[in-house]
Amino acid sequence: MYALEICGLAKTFKGKKMRTVEALKGLNLCVEPGEVLGFLGPNGAGKSTTIKCLMGLLRPTRGSATIQGRDISSAEARRSVGYLPENPAFYDYLNAEEYLLFVGRAFGMAPELLAQRTEEMLKLLELWEHRKRLIRTYSKGMVQRVGLAQVLLHDPDIYILDEPMSGLDPIGRALVKEIILDLKKRGKCVFFSTHITDDVEKICDRVAVINKGQLLVVDSVQNILQQGTEGYTVTVVAGDGRREEVFVTTDRLQSFIRDAAGESRSIEKIEPRRKDMEAFFLEIVAR
Amino acid sequence: MLNMMRITLKGVFRDRVFQGIMALAVLFLFIPSAASLSMRQVTELSVTLSLSLISFILLLLSVFLGGTSLWRDIERRYTFGVLSLPLSRSSYILGRFLGLALFLVLVSVVLGVAACVAVNVASSLYPADRPVVWSFVALALVYATLKYILLVAVALLLSTVSTSFFLPVFGTICTFLASGISQQVYEYVHSAAAVQTVSPLFRQVVTAVYYLIPNLAGFDLKINAIYSVAPNPRGLALTACYFLAYTAILLAGSIFLFNRREMK
Ligand SMILES: Nc1ncnc2c1ncn2[C@@H]1O[C@H](COP(=O)(O)OP(=O)(O)OP(=O)(O)O)[C@@H](O)[C@H]1O
Ligand SMILES: [Mg+2]
Repeated sequence: MYALEICGLAKTFKGKKMRTVEALKGLNLCVEPGEVLGFLGPNGAGKSTTIKCLMGLLRPTRGSATIQGRDISSAEARRSVGYLPENPAFYDYLNAEEYLLFVGRAFGMAPELLAQRTEEMLKLLELWEHRKRLIRTYSKGMVQRVGLAQVLLHDPDIYILDEPMSGLDPIGRALVKEIILDLKKRGKCVFFSTHITDDVEKICDRVAVINKGQLLVVDSVQNILQQGTEGYTVTVVAGDGRREEVFVTTDRLQSFIRDAAGESRSIEKIEPRRKDMEAFFLEIVAR
Repeated sequence: MLNMMRITLKGVFRDRVFQGIMALAVLFLFIPSAASLSMRQVTELSVTLSLSLISFILLLLSVFLGGTSLWRDIERRYTFGVLSLPLSRSSYILGRFLGLALFLVLVSVVLGVAACVAVNVASSLYPADRPVVWSFVALALVYATLKYILLVAVALLLSTVSTSFFLPVFGTICTFLASGISQQVYEYVHSAAAVQTVSPLFRQVVTAVYYLIPNLAGFDLKINAIYSVAPNPRGLALTACYFLAYTAILLAGSIFLFNRREMK
């Protein structure tokens, strides 16, 4: 069973004066349990729309989706999900601790466990000292941290995060990366949208690229990086100890190594030179 | 749902609007002296003033809290966080409604006690001819509270279809005003005198509106409380049934509409 299964999802917004926006045009996507999938796309591509449909906030115009086999139209489907909205806002008359208690109760957590997890999450996201302050007084990044805390609170199997890094300082970003990698290690499924190709490269198993409401590519990060390999930078040490860096294309690599051995030059280092995720992304979207 | 209720109550108590409106309760302090100005019927007057003040405060609370609570959640995008929890839309609406209803009950209990003190002070200064029947005062309070709880349901229903606070707040006020006069207008257009002058279409419109908007006249027991006249038990029971049925219909409508609402 897939953690997330999206079948032919389409969403059309009806604007004023008969104007319509086709935000999603028949999206098909499956996410395995235990997989970290990056949802990459430029502004207005339809990432948030997809996620809002999954969370039952928007009603799809066509198509369907399931979360762990349960149709998204029922509230029960969301029981195993932690969702972080884009630019989140939480009841600002509560403090962080009260909000987490509210979320935990909605998930039916036992009181002792809830108290313990609340403390852990507040400490993990460095909100512990601020837990008694009203969310109204929080900075943007602190609100984002509250959002992450409420996602992790009930330890769900599936994480749906809409731009989890947005609004965070470098320390916060590093922390989020660490958290996602830790979730991956524990076999959780993470589906997150982002614009930052570097994050995808570092933490995702697979990447799905969306533009103008259509899915362009779904592939493993490893494949993409492999395919993007243009050649290798080979460092060779000649007989007299002189070091030299040579660029070798992929098809010539084997013969180069053989020749080097014949000429008694030793090879010190072979580094693939490749297009990174960003180049790949730009190329795909421009296509 | 209980969870949602708790959050609603907490939100109301920390709300500036609530704090501002409750400042009106200070007026209770002046009721005995104001009533004593009349020199006669001081007790009756103090009961009238107290009940009117409570009604007014409850009206403001029900209109503003009922009309803005949903709107604010949507406007400030709290709904993304809340409705993505495993919480159905119906329990969200019911939680909100019950939270506000419970809040109105709490307020009327507190204000009721204040009113009792005020009336007691007034009547000790100028003993009344007819003693105050406290149970009638309490009954008047209970029915006033029910009336405003019903108004909260009206406000919620309007909030579920509206994207601003304008429709729920002013729609609720209009409903309240119209329900106060609908009985008279209805009786007038159906009276013998009006049959000649009023066009049949207008009469039909009035009749339709009369049946559509809530009839709140039955909830008003002020006269009974002021002059210590026992209310008609059958009327009370009917009004209570009316309250339950009408509120249930409003809530069912709200849930139906809110289920269809998209969070953009
Ligand atoms: N409520 C709405 N009414 C009309 N059009 C909308 C609405 N919400 C989104 N859209 C349109 O749908 C498209 C997809 O928007 P969406 O928010 O999903 O983009 P996104 O991929 O999340 O972008 P970003 O990276 O900026 O967050 C956009 O063209 C947007 O203008
Ligand atoms: Mg977005």
